[in-house]
Amino acid sequence: MYANKKYLTIAWILVLPALLIRFFTTLYPIADTFRISFFEVKLLQGIHRFVGFRNYVDMFQDDKMIASISFTVLFVVGSMAGHLILGIALALILNMKFAGQKVLRTIVLLPWAMPMVVIAMASKWAFNNDYGLVNNFIRWFDPSFQMNWLIHTGTARNAVIAVDLWKDLPFFAILVLAGLQFISSDMYEAAKIDGAGSVQSFFAITLPLLSKNILVLSIFFTMWRMTSFDIVYAMTSGGPGESTALVAYRVTTEAFTNLNTGYAASIAIVLFLVMAALSGLSMSAAKRVDY
Amino acid sequence: MVSNRARRLLPAIAMWGLAAVVAFLILFPLWWIFISSITPAGELFAKPIKYWPAHPTLESYRFLIENVGLLAKIRDTLIIVGLSILIGMIVSVMAAFSFSRFRSKGLSLAVAFLLASMLIPDVVTARPLYDFLRYVHLYDTYAGLIVLYISGILPFSILILQNYLNDIPVSIEESASIDGCGFVQSMWYVTLPLLRPALATVCIVNFITCLNNFFTPLFYSNGISVLSTAITQLPLRDNMYAVPWDLVSAMGWIIILPIIVFVAFFQRQIMEGIMAGGVKG
Repeated sequence: MYANKKYLTIAWILVLPALLIRFFTTLYPIADTFRISFFEVKLLQGIHRFVGFRNYVDMFQDDKMIASISFTVLFVVGSMAGHLILGIALALILNMKFAGQKVLRTIVLLPWAMPMVVIAMASKWAFNNDYGLVNNFIRWFDPSFQMNWLIHTGTARNAVIAVDLWKDLPFFAILVLAGLQFISSDMYEAAKIDGAGSVQSFFAITLPLLSKNILVLSIFFTMWRMTSFDIVYAMTSGGPGESTALVAYRVTTEAFTNLNTGYAASIAIVLFLVMAALSGLSMSAAKRVDY
Repeated sequence: MVSNRARRLLPAIAMWGLAAVVAFLILFPLWWIFISSITPAGELFAKPIKYWPAHPTLESYRFLIENVGLLAKIRDTLIIVGLSILIGMIVSVMAAFSFSRFRSKGLSLAVAFLLASMLIPDVVTARPLYDFLRYVHLYDTYAGLIVLYISGILPFSILILQNYLNDIPVSIEESASIDGCGFVQSMWYVTLPLLRPALATVCIVNFITCLNNFFTPLFYSNGISVLSTAITQLPLRDNMYAVPWDLVSAMGWIIILPIIVFVAFFQRQIMEGIMAGGVKG
């Protein structure tokens, strides 16, 4: 009944508000970011001139930027490794048939439902040497333990990754769980009859069948890690030094604090292009994985 | 006999043990935040941590209400989140309905644009969007924030609603039309009631998304302060420590408590919502 041409006008009227909102909040500003990435903009001095690719070249000679890139790579890889290993383990725990299943799933939803900024603010105190939760916990086992996590590069970076895992790994596990539930129990029955143990059937049935689901999830979770901002804004402010300044944090610092908008735009565009390329590649890989 | 019994009991013990470890790792930090919020500021500097304060107090909460304007922030948050969910829902239902019922090359292109725009991260658009909002006088206004919040929830909502609508047969609307229903009537009386479960799911997930939105209020508002940004702007009581932990924990718990109640209450719908969104990707 909706095939009639006169309905097409109605169709466009219905989608128009959504399109307009998304156009003005995503497409227009990213086009503008692209444009100003070729300009040197110094708002305070009133400078606004075309400099071609200079911002892009400068980026790779900027020590702060190199620190940001290296931590972002470390953060994404470290956090994703944790997500994959612990997340799949947690999904299996959530899939256990026992009386506490529903309560456990509710508990696991909690970190996802909370704002990252609250968790990150609490983490700042939790990683305090004297009064923090983390060291207090470690001292139950090793009473003389001392560590001021957030003032050393290595430990601060690990702490940020740990907090990211606490917050988002449960969500990852729930999404893996969704995939687990599509695997029919007949397959496990058949494997059992053929004499497979539970470890064997995990590697022979569960993991292969989940691989596409996990790959697609990993793409999204990797993209979210690459644009993480709240966690370092509230937890470390990029410190100590610049060692935990994720690229997304660097962009906002250049754009809003240093008022170096052209430079910030060029970083943002590189970030976007890397993300687009990565997700494009992995999406086409995901299409080829077929079980 | 004994080994038989052990064989049956052992998996159960292992399951409860694993579940207990997971629950502990998640709940214990939250408990610690709560305890800190009712501990007098001086007692917070205790080593080891006391997991029950000697003199529990609501002083931090009182301070937040009297000196930080907590109630106004709660009001602002509710206005912005509530209106964003409501208007966002109307906009998404309209778009999802159109995408599910009509076919044309242009509409397919529009769907592709909406999906692709999910790939554009906040930080990449931040500065031009900020300048644009200033230019159209929407910076630091309820309207501006609401539009941005809506923008954030649109793609997910449209995706879920469209999937759900695809499963509602067009024939139901056709018979309504034969019975004399106009377009608007048939949408209101026939389609929307059928869509109710999906609407509930989308509303619930959007509530969490909007409440947790930090980037938008941080960069696009100044005077209007919602709860998520307020926690980063609490006054320092003394200069010794970088975090006013007594206030942060109280503020944190004010944000966390409603979320815990909400999640416990809507666990089923939330699971359905994020799984529907997740599986489709």
